Amino acid sequence: MARIRRMSNTSDPEALSRRRFLRGAGGVAAGGVLVHGMLSAAEPAARAPGASSAGETLEGEIEIELSINGETRKLKCEPRTTLLSALRHRCDPALTGTKEVCDRGNCGACTVHVDGKPALACLLLAADMRGKKLRTIEGLGSPDKLNALQQSFWTHDGQMCGFCTPGFVMAIQACLDKKPKASLDEIKRSCAGNVCRCGTYPAVFEAALAVARGGK
Amino acid sequence: MSSQKETGPSWGPRAAHTLLNKDVPRVDGPAKVSGRAVYAHDVRLPGMLFARVLCSPYPVATVEFDLEAAKKLPGVGAALDMGVKSVRWLGQPVAAVAADTPERADDALRALNAKWTPGKWVVTREQSLAEGAPAVGKNGNRGRENSQGDRAETEAAMQGAAGVVEAVYTVPVQHHACLETHGVTVDYRGGDEAKVYASTQSTFAIPEGAARALGLKAESVESIVEYMGGGFGSKFDLGFEGQLACQLSKQAGKPVHLLLTRAAEFTSAGNRAAAHFVMKGAIGADGKLLALLSDIEKGGGVGEGARMPQPYIYEVEKSWTKSVGVLTNTDSSRAMRAPGHPQSSFAMESIVDELAYKAGLDPLEVRKKNLKHEAYQRQLTRVAQEIGWPAHPNKTAPGKAEGRWCTGIGFGVSVWGAGGRAECQVDVRIGRDGSVSSAVGSQDLGTGVRTYVATIVAEELGLPVTAVTARIGSSRLGQANGSGGSTTTASLAPAVKSAAWNARTKFAEHLAQALGTEATNIHFAGGQVEDKKNGKKLAFAQACALLPQEGLSARGEWVKELAGNGIHGAQAAKVRVDPLTGQVEVLKMVCLQDSGLPLNRLTLRSQIAGGMVQALSYGLLEERVIDPDLGIALNANFEDYKIAGSMEIGEIVALIDDDDQREQAIGVAEATCIPGHSAIANAIFNACGARVRDLPLTPDKVLAALGRT
Repeated sequence: MARIRRMSNTSDPEALSRRRFLRGAGGVAAGGVLVHGMLSAAEPAARAPGASSAGETLEGEIEIELSINGETRKLKCEPRTTLLSALRHRCDPALTGTKEVCDRGNCGACTVHVDGKPALACLLLAADMRGKKLRTIEGLGSPDKLNALQQSFWTHDGQMCGFCTPGFVMAIQACLDKKPKASLDEIKRSCAGNVCRCGTYPAVFEAALAVARGGK
Repeated sequence: MSSQKETGPSWGPRAAHTLLNKDVPRVDGPAKVSGRAVYAHDVRLPGMLFARVLCSPYPVATVEFDLEAAKKLPGVGAALDMGVKSVRWLGQPVAAVAADTPERADDALRALNAKWTPGKWVVTREQSLAEGAPAVGKNGNRGRENSQGDRAETEAAMQGAAGVVEAVYTVPVQHHACLETHGVTVDYRGGDEAKVYASTQSTFAIPEGAARALGLKAESVESIVEYMGGGFGSKFDLGFEGQLACQLSKQAGKPVHLLLTRAAEFTSAGNRAAAHFVMKGAIGADGKLLALLSDIEKGGGVGEGARMPQPYIYEVEKSWTKSVGVLTNTDSSRAMRAPGHPQSSFAMESIVDELAYKAGLDPLEVRKKNLKHEAYQRQLTRVAQEIGWPAHPNKTAPGKAEGRWCTGIGFGVSVWGAGGRAECQVDVRIGRDGSVSSAVGSQDLGTGVRTYVATIVAEELGLPVTAVTARIGSSRLGQANGSGGSTTTASLAPAVKSAAWNARTKFAEHLAQALGTEATNIHFAGGQVEDKKNGKKLAFAQACALLPQEGLSARGEWVKELAGNGIHGAQAAKVRVDPLTGQVEVLKMVCLQDSGLPLNRLTLRSQIAGGMVQALSYGLLEERVIDPDLGIALNANFEDYKIAGSMEIGEIVALIDDDDQREQAIGVAEATCIPGHSAIANAIFNACGARVRDLPLTPDKVLAALGRT
C-alpha cells in the first residue's frame, strides 16, 4: 500500500499547521483514556467549537476543502475524522461507495486513490488530505457509463453481494493504471489487502486479466 | 414462447431457452461495481443518528455504567440501558447510544464508563466439561443428548474388518464474517409510520419486531432490502441490533443507523459451532464401510449448535451416533451455510480416507463404492479427471515427505435438500407503453435473485433481460420466504415463472381478441409478437399499445412441478505441502455440482466457486480464539481472524453438472461449501502422509503430524 505523505505546508495562516493538527489529533488519545474511566465522562474527546484557546490546539469542528473526483468539496469534520468517515458521513451528498468494513486497515473495502496511488481511507485523516487529489469509486464510472474494469467486473460476475466490490475495483484499477498489462500474479498482489466473503476471487481475477489483455 | 397445448407453466425443453441456462450478467451489477448500490449501511437520512452498542468484553460479568453521562455529551440523541446487570456470554449487549456522528457515538460509548466485574466462566470444551465447572445453562453444561443406532451391534460389525481407525476430529468456531455487519437504518421521525432499511436474509421477518419496538402497527412499518452485504445464515431476524435501533429511534424521534462495529460483529452476531468428533470406523477388504461409531460434542456457545449428521452421506452397514451440545459462555451459534454439514464432512471424509489407505485401497474407489446416488459416481469420475487423479502416483499410499514440495490430491462430496415451499407471490405488470416489471419482496443475498426475477419474465415474453425491471426487497411487495437452507430459488423461481406465464397467457388472450385470432396463435419471441396463423408481427411495444389504459397485471404463486429438491456435488483438491515448513498451498480445486435447471449459469458458477473458496478459507485459516483464563476475544478483527484472500486462491474450477436434466428450479448455496476443506485435508495426507485431524490445517499441525514438531 502506498505511503501517504503528510500534508504539505500551506500559506494560509488560518489553515492547519502540522503541529496544530497533531495536537488536535491528541483528542483521539483523550478519548482512549476515557475508556479506562480516568477522565470525567462529561469530557468529550473533541470539544465544542470555540473552546480552544489562542489557536494552540486544534479542536472541535474544522472546515476543510477536499478535491474528490475532480470536484472541490467543502466539508466540516473533526481533526480525528478519517477520510473514510468524511466521505461517508461528512460529505453531502454522502459518498458511500467507499465501504466501511473493518475500519482498521485489514480488509481493503475502503480503498481510494490518493494522488493516483491506492490507499485505505480508514487509515487516513481527512484533514491530512487537503491539497491532494482524491478519487473514489464514484469517480471511476457511473452505472450508465462504466469504465473498462467495472464493465469487466460486471460481465465476468466479479461481484456477488457486492459489498467488497468497490474496494477491489479501486485496488486493481490502481494496479492497471500503473501497469496496464499486469500479470495474474501482479493483479493478485494488487488486491492482496482486500477480502471478499462471497468468494468472488476467481471471477475478479478473470475480470482484471481480461482488461489487462485488452479484451473484454 | 408459444402457448399452444399448454395447460400450465413448465421450464422445458432445455434447448428452447433464450435466457435461462445461459450466462446473464446480473442486472444489478452496474450499481454494485460503481459503488451506487445503497446498502442499509449506506442509507443517509436527515437528522440521522449513528448508534453504538456496548458489548461485554467478558464471558461472565456484572456491569455498571453511567447512562446519564453519555446523554450529556454533545450530539448524543438517545441512550438505552437494556436492563442486563449480569452477562452470561462474551459479547452480550447491555446498552446502546446514538449520536449525530459515529465518532460522537464512540465518545458516548466511552462515557458510559462501564465497570465490569468479571465472574467465573467456561469458554472451551475442556473448561465446560471439567468437574466443578460453573454452569452455563440451567441444567448444567451438557445439552440434550441424541443418539441413534445400536452401539454394541456396531462394535460387533467391526470384527474381521480389513481396517479399523479410531480418531478424534475437531473443528473450531468459524465466523460468518459478513462484510456488511448486522444492523438496520430506521427511518422514524415520530408519527405513525416507519421504514426499516435492513441488512437481512428475510425482508418479511423485520416489520413485526420493528413495529413492536417502535410502538407501531406491523402494517405501518416497511422493511427495505435493496442490497445486503452478505448473511450466510446469520441474518434472519431483527436481532438485538435492530431492536435497539428502533428503540433509540423512538426515544430520539429521529432516524437511527445501527450497523455493528466489526468487533461486535465477531463477538455478538453468531458463528458456526465448533465440534469434537470421537470416531471409530471399520472397512472391509472389498472397500465396504462396515461400521461407524460417532460420539459428537457440539460447541455452540450458549446455544446447542446445529445437528451434525453421521454417518455423513456415505452408506455404512452399521452405525451408532451420539450427539450433545457442550455449552460455553460465548455467543450462540447460528445457522451458517449448510449448518452442521461442513463439520460432519470433515470428520466423515477424513475417516473414510483413513480407512481406505489403511486397507490399502484407492480412496476414490472406496468413496464410489459406498455412495448410493448415481450422481456421485459420474461426479467423482469427472472431478478426478479434472484434478489429474488418473495420472497421479500416490493412489493407495501417501507420498513421502521429502524435498521442497509434495503434491497430493483429495476428495469430498456434498448433499443438500434445497427444496421449495409455497410462500412467494410475484406480480408481473405490463404497461401500455411496453414497460414490464416483475416484483416480489424477496431479498437478494448476492446469489442473483434480482436477475432471475427479471430473466424468467423476459424469456417468457420473448424479450431481452433489459426490457424487464425487477423490483425486490420491500415488504410492500409480494410475500417471499427468508433465504435460508438454499430454499429461495425453489420457492421463488416457480412463482416468478407462474406469474410470467399468467401474464403471457392473459396478454395473448387480450391480443387475440384485439386482432381477431386465437390466443394459441399468439407467439412471443425476439421482442416481437407474432400471429402464427397469418405470420403478422407486431413489435412488443406495439402489442402493448393494444392493452387497456391500466395495462395488464398477473400474479404468480408456487407451482410444485417447477421446483425440485435434493442436490449433489463432488469436489477435489490438489495441494502442495512443504514438509520442512508445513506450508500448504491449494493449487487447484474442482467442483461438479448438480442443481436442476441452471437459471443463470454465470451466477451459478459464481456461487459454486464462492462455496469452494469459503471451504478453503475454513480449512486453512479460520478459527475463533478466546483466552480461556482472561476470557478475552483474541481475534475479533480481520487482522487476526483471517479469511482467504487473493494470495490463497489457486485455480478454482466450478463446473455445472449438465447430466442432471431435471426441469426444476433448485437452490445451490449450501452444498458448495460442504466438502472443500475435507478434500484439502485429504490432499495433504495424500501428498506427504500428514493426517491433520484438527481445523484449520495450519503449518504447525502439518509438521506435528509428520512428527517434526
